This record gives sequence, C-alpha cells and structure tokens, in this order.
Amino acid sequence: MLRYVASRILLAVPVFLGVATIVFLVVRVIPGDPAVAALGDYASKEAVEALRQRMGLDEPLLVQYTRFLAGLARGDLGRSMITGASVREQIAHALPYTLELTLGAVLVGALLGIPVGVYTAIRRNRLADYLGRVFSLAGLSVPAFYLGILLTLLVALRLGWLPAVGGGDAADAGDRLRHLVLPALTLGLVMTASVARLTRSAMLGVLRQDYVRTARAKGLAEGAVRLRHALGSALIPIVSITGLWAVSLIGDSVTVEVVFARPGLGKMMVGAILQRDYTALQSVMVVYTAFVVGINLVTDLAYAWVDPRVSRG
Amino acid sequence: MRRPIALVVMLLPATALALGPLAGPRAAGAAGILKLAQLSSDLQTLDPHFAATTPDRSVVDMVFNGLIRYKPGDGSVFEPDLATALPTARVADGKQVWTFQLRKGVMCHGSEGVPTYPLTSEDVVYSLQKASDKNRSAYAADYTGMTVDAPDAATVRVTLDHPLSSGLFYPKVANYSGGLIVCKKPAEKLGADGLKTHPAGTGPFMFKSYTPQERVVLVANPAYFRGKPQLDGVEIRYMPDLNSRELGLRNGQLDVINGTPDKAWVDGLKGVANVKVDVFGVGEVATLFFRTTTPPLDKPEVRKALAHALDRQEFLALIGQGIAEPVYSPVPAKFLPGGLGEKEVQARGLDYPHDLVRAKKLLADAGLPQGFSLEVVTSELPGYRVLYESLQAQLAKVGVKVAVKVVDHATMHSLIRKDANPLVIYIAWRPNADVYLTQFFHSDSIVVSGKKPNVNFAHYDRIDGLVERARAETDQAKQVQAWKDAQLKILEDMVAYPIQYQNQVYARSAAVDYGHELVSVLALYPGITEKTRLNR
Repeated sequence: MLRYVASRILLAVPVFLGVATIVFLVVRVIPGDPAVAALGDYASKEAVEALRQRMGLDEPLLVQYTRFLAGLARGDLGRSMITGASVREQIAHALPYTLELTLGAVLVGALLGIPVGVYTAIRRNRLADYLGRVFSLAGLSVPAFYLGILLTLLVALRLGWLPAVGGGDAADAGDRLRHLVLPALTLGLVMTASVARLTRSAMLGVLRQDYVRTARAKGLAEGAVRLRHALGSALIPIVSITGLWAVSLIGDSVTVEVVFARPGLGKMMVGAILQRDYTALQSVMVVYTAFVVGINLVTDLAYAWVDPRVSRG
Repeated sequence: MRRPIALVVMLLPATALALGPLAGPRAAGAAGILKLAQLSSDLQTLDPHFAATTPDRSVVDMVFNGLIRYKPGDGSVFEPDLATALPTARVADGKQVWTFQLRKGVMCHGSEGVPTYPLTSEDVVYSLQKASDKNRSAYAADYTGMTVDAPDAATVRVTLDHPLSSGLFYPKVANYSGGLIVCKKPAEKLGADGLKTHPAGTGPFMFKSYTPQERVVLVANPAYFRGKPQLDGVEIRYMPDLNSRELGLRNGQLDVINGTPDKAWVDGLKGVANVKVDVFGVGEVATLFFRTTTPPLDKPEVRKALAHALDRQEFLALIGQGIAEPVYSPVPAKFLPGGLGEKEVQARGLDYPHDLVRAKKLLADAGLPQGFSLEVVTSELPGYRVLYESLQAQLAKVGVKVAVKVVDHATMHSLIRKDANPLVIYIAWRPNADVYLTQFFHSDSIVVSGKKPNVNFAHYDRIDGLVERARAETDQAKQVQAWKDAQLKILEDMVAYPIQYQNQVYARSAAVDYGHELVSVLALYPGITEKTRLNR
C-alpha cells in the first residue's frame, strides 16, 4: 500500500508542472494587453509602456517563465497586474468559498443520490423507480446555471427563504451557510442524478449475487442484507465517480459562482481573464490544477482502501 | 418498514412549508448603508487620474471633489465645489490666468498612517500636477500647456499657455477624471500602487475596505463640508451577471443596480413592486467609422451609399425608444454644445435618410453594382454585438456582405486599435466636443500611424484646422460654430455615420432617494451624494 501511495504522489508532480507550463503559455496567447486593460483606452502610449515595464511584460518569455516557476517554488503567486493586490491573499480569501461550495455539492450529490439510487433499485420497476429515473434524466439534462436561476426565483424570490446572491458575511458561519444552500443545491443536483443512476445499477448488479442470496438464506433481515452486504460492494464504483464528480464540480463551480455572485476561485478566474490579469489567472489555474491532481490522488487512494486488490496490483 | 418512510417523504414538504423560511433575506442597506451593484468583475483602479470604467468612476465620484463640480444629476451645469466660486479668466503677462479661492474647513480623509487634515492649495497644486504628469495620469494630455501655483494656502492659480473658453477649461478642473483632487499626504504615503485600492480625497464618503472581486466599502465622512451624509455608507458590489444583480435587487439584498439598455428589460422591471427604473443621460454615442484608406471605402460615393443603406430607426428598435435616441452628429447635441440636431443636418441634406434605391445607385456609380465583402470583429457585449449584427443585415440588402466575428470586449478594443476593422462601431462618451473631435477625427489620433495614435479609425485628416481653431477660440458662440462646421465636413465626406446615443439604465429600490433629479451624470451612474438617503 505504501508503495502504491508513493507512486501516485510521484506521478502527480510532472503532471502538475506540465499543466502549469501550459497555463503560463496559454494566458499569453489571449489577445489584449493587460496594461491597456488596466489603464483604459484614455491612457497615453507612454503610460501604457511604463506599466508594461513595471509588469515585466517587456522581458523575454523565458525570463518571465523562470520567474513564474521560481515564484511557484517559493509559494509566491505574485501581485495582481491590475490592482497590485497580493494574489496569494486573494486566493486565500476565495478558496474557502470554492471549497465549501464544492464540498457542499458533493455532499448533496452523495447524500441524496445514494439513497435515491438504493431506493429505486429496491423498488425496481415500480412507481418509485420510474419517478427516480425520470428525476435522474432531468437532473442530467438541465444546465446548472438554469437550475440555479429557477431555484433562486422559487426559493429566494417567491418564498423568501434564502438569499439570492452573495457569499455571506465572512465572519458569520450561519450567514455563510444560508448563502451556501442554493448554490450547493444547484451544483449538487446534477451530481445527484448521476450518482442515483449509478447506485441503482450497481445495487441491481450486487443484489443478484450469490452471496446476497446466501445472506438472505441465513435469515438476515432484508435491511441488513441490502445495507451491510450489498451496498458495501456497490460503493466501489460510486467512490470512483464521486472523485470524478468532485473534479468536475470544481470546474462547474465557475458558472455557479458567477450566477450567484459568490466569491470564489471561479469568479476570480473569470475576472482575471476579462481583465487580462496574467498573474492572477495563471495562479488561479495552477491552484485548480493542484486541486484536480490532489482529488484524483485522494480518489485513487480511497479506491485502494475500499478495494485492497487495487493496491496489490 | 415501508410506511414510515413513505410517511416521512410525504410530510417533509408540508413540514418545511409550515415551519416557514429558514431565514428571510437580509434587508439591504441595514443601518443606512446603500448597496450598489456594478457591472464589473472587479475594480481596475481607484486612482481618479486613471479611473476610466463606470464602476471605478462611480467610486471616485463619491470619494473625491473637484475645484468645481457638475451639478449632481445635471451635467450641463457647473457649480463651485472645493472653490468658493466659478472663476473667470484674466490675462496676465500675455497668458490666461484662472484663480480659485478654496473653501475653509475642507478636510482630507485620514488614511493609513496619515490622519485627517485640512485641505490647502498645496494639495490642489500637487493633484493638478499629478494629473498633468503622463507617468501618473492617463489624462495628462488634457493638461498640456497648464501650470499651477499657490500664492497662499487658500488660493490656487492656473495659468494657460494658450487661452481657453470656460466651456473647455471648466471640465479640466471639474469633478471628473484629472480634475478630481487627490490629497497630497496620503497619496505620497500610499504611492502609485497603494492609491489604486486606497483612495483618499475630501468627498462625502471615505474609503474603508476593498475585498478583491467582491466589494469596496465606503463610510460616511462626518466632517464633509456640505454636511454629514444621510447614508452611513455605501457598498459597491462587483457583479458582472445581470441576472444576479436583478435577483439581488428584487430580493432586497441590493438597493441600486446597473441595468442594461434594453427596453424589454426595463419594461419587465417596471412592473415589479418596490422597484424603480431610471433612464437618464449622459448618452454614450454609437458611431460607425469608415476606414477611408481601404478600397472601396476610400470612395466617398461608396461611404454615402452605405450611409443611405442604413436606417437609424432599425438600430433604435434594437434597444428601444427612450433607452436610445438617434443622433445626427458625432457630438451629441442633447448633452453638449457643438452638436448638430436633426433639423440642422436635414437643412444641409446631410442626414442621409434611409434609401436603398439611392444606395444601390451610388454603389453602381462607383463600379460596385454587385456590392462587396468586408470582415469585422465585434465585442460579445450586447451593446456592440446587436449593432454590428444589425449593420450586417442592413448592408446585405445592398449587396455588401459583412462577416462579423465575435470576440471578448478587451480583444475587440485591442484589435480595432491595431486597425483590424474597415468598419468600426464605437460607443463612447467624452466630456466636450473638443475631445470628441480631437480623439476621433484629428490626424494626430489616427490609429497606429498617427503622431499620438488614438481612436481616429477613419484615418481622417481634413478637419485638423477647424478643431485647432475651435480649441483656441475663447468666444463661446464662435467656438460652438467651429465645432459644428467641423462636423458638417465630417458628414459631407461621410467618414462617420452617427447612429444613436444609449442612455444609462439603473434600477433601484423604491426606498432610495438620490437627493437630486436625474438628467445627465458624466460618471455614468445616478450620483450618490451627501443628500442621498434610504427611506426605510
């Protein structure tokens, strides 16, 4: 198991560096000049040139790249090209919001999706099963931003139960939770549909197995058969997909953060693109990369823990 | 086992409804803090001598003053601000001199490491010198030939190498762009980078905090020389998505939002209880420029053909009457002296009425009976995209095929300044006719190849003399006539087709009282002053 863990960690390093390099190059291909974006179209040519020099944009690409890597190694993510604010501080502020949104969405997806999947498998070919499958299909088909707007119109505007936009008061956990509910539901319901479908399939497959029949024959209660014997085995593919979904949800969080005007890495990234803030953009994308690599690593390790056969190769 | 589960599932929604809201939405503007949501993902700079976007201008408008100001809500009227009176010019040693007496008791905001202190002429001189320095101001070109000095702590003297009319001088010292007065001590302490995110002026609201990509928080200045503001503070939220802003307003989380120039949106929101929509000037002018150095647009008859192929009413229908209005000259007559009204251009046959037959004949006379093809780029912003798409559809009727490529806004601005488009639609507001004509039509401003490249997309060079003569004219009536003459020449040569101006659209809670009528505001937002209040 230790060897497996070490190999996964070592593999993550070149992946991370490779993506960071691609990010560095891609942001510089985007048309538009950060200095002009910062100063506006009224600024003189001299002012724009002076700012370009201060931003280091007049230096050769290799010099800029070396400085970028050296900064990464030191944990220095630089300063915003537009406002001069520390990018690390901006990310430190935005990151918890993205993490809580993603975690909330994963919890919604898992805590709703698994029970729905189990129940529809148990009630196979009955009304509950049909309803569950329609719900899954609808959930997979509806775009997250559309769902978000619908939820907001109903829950926030019509019923007045929850706030419509924003991330809440950073110092008030209750207020942050209130502001988290709708965005997490929006992001998580799509995952719910997928998890429910997969859980249903996995459960149906497991419930047909001989050992399940044996467990029933031994006189165990049906609940124990389903939850202790069947569900445990059915969880293996669900763990995999939860990890994949967590990665996907981090990307989808961009849309939800913009629609709900929530602070977060996604909103920060969109803003950096629009403002041509190279420093902020490449730093945010590096952080996203670290997340994806990290989540994949955790998923692989969790998979090995659930199914020890994986780590034995 | 099944029944309890089914029972819980059935009762859950009913239970939730019975319990009522988990938490009602917070009332916006608690304790008199007005929440304004702007169309932006973040600020760019709060240094007033660089601020150019509407969100940035709205913040600096609340934090800084000028020596004089545009009357709140009516940008056609000047009033004293930091100065006690509007100055009149006198001549000394062959130069034009404008002298300002400063009000007493104006306090500079305290900032990090610098306590609040009384404003003096030293601060004003510092600020105007900063505004005229091309390394410390984007508006330095507006202050060429100007020197500032302070005979005493309460007097500021501005000397011009070349005399100007009051119509051209006042905007330079008004509460807009380079005229906003930055207090010297906090500016020197903060430095150029600090000033971007920590503005310190003398205005009714003081900077408190900035959270990147989220908000700027201002608090009331209790020592404001016009009296303590009626609001406790203002929170400017950065929300680029219109739906988010609208939902926040309707939910009570926001008090004022930047809307969109779309009649359907405006009409929809007018029907919402406790929400008001304000449509006001200044209008940003949309003008179509023809690159006169590119065949076949180098032929005047071709340009005139395209002008006749276009229909201002069709462009207007995209936005909606009232939200947009037609214009007949590059300088909007509704808001600025020197603009040409419909009757004036009609009297000279320069209104180019929509006439497809005439357009086709002109093209045939130019040897292009089948039309021709062009490629352009447009911004993805609706304000630009719909105009380009309408242009494409209208010109297709006379055989002119315009291929339109959509790019993001910053890319469009970058590309058109590299002369990528043979046809350019540009939407802009400028504070006076001289700036419009200089930036868009003087030969120095020709994109890429001009002496001081700016936005002369037409590569036009035939009104330089008129523009310079108007600038030097101190008689207001003669100055206005010179501007009009310049624009008549532009229309005769048809290097630019004025399309429309688009008003500003903001929505607010019915509880918001701005404290002034809304006619025109140069900062492109309703204007929040010490008289603005929340009536809750």
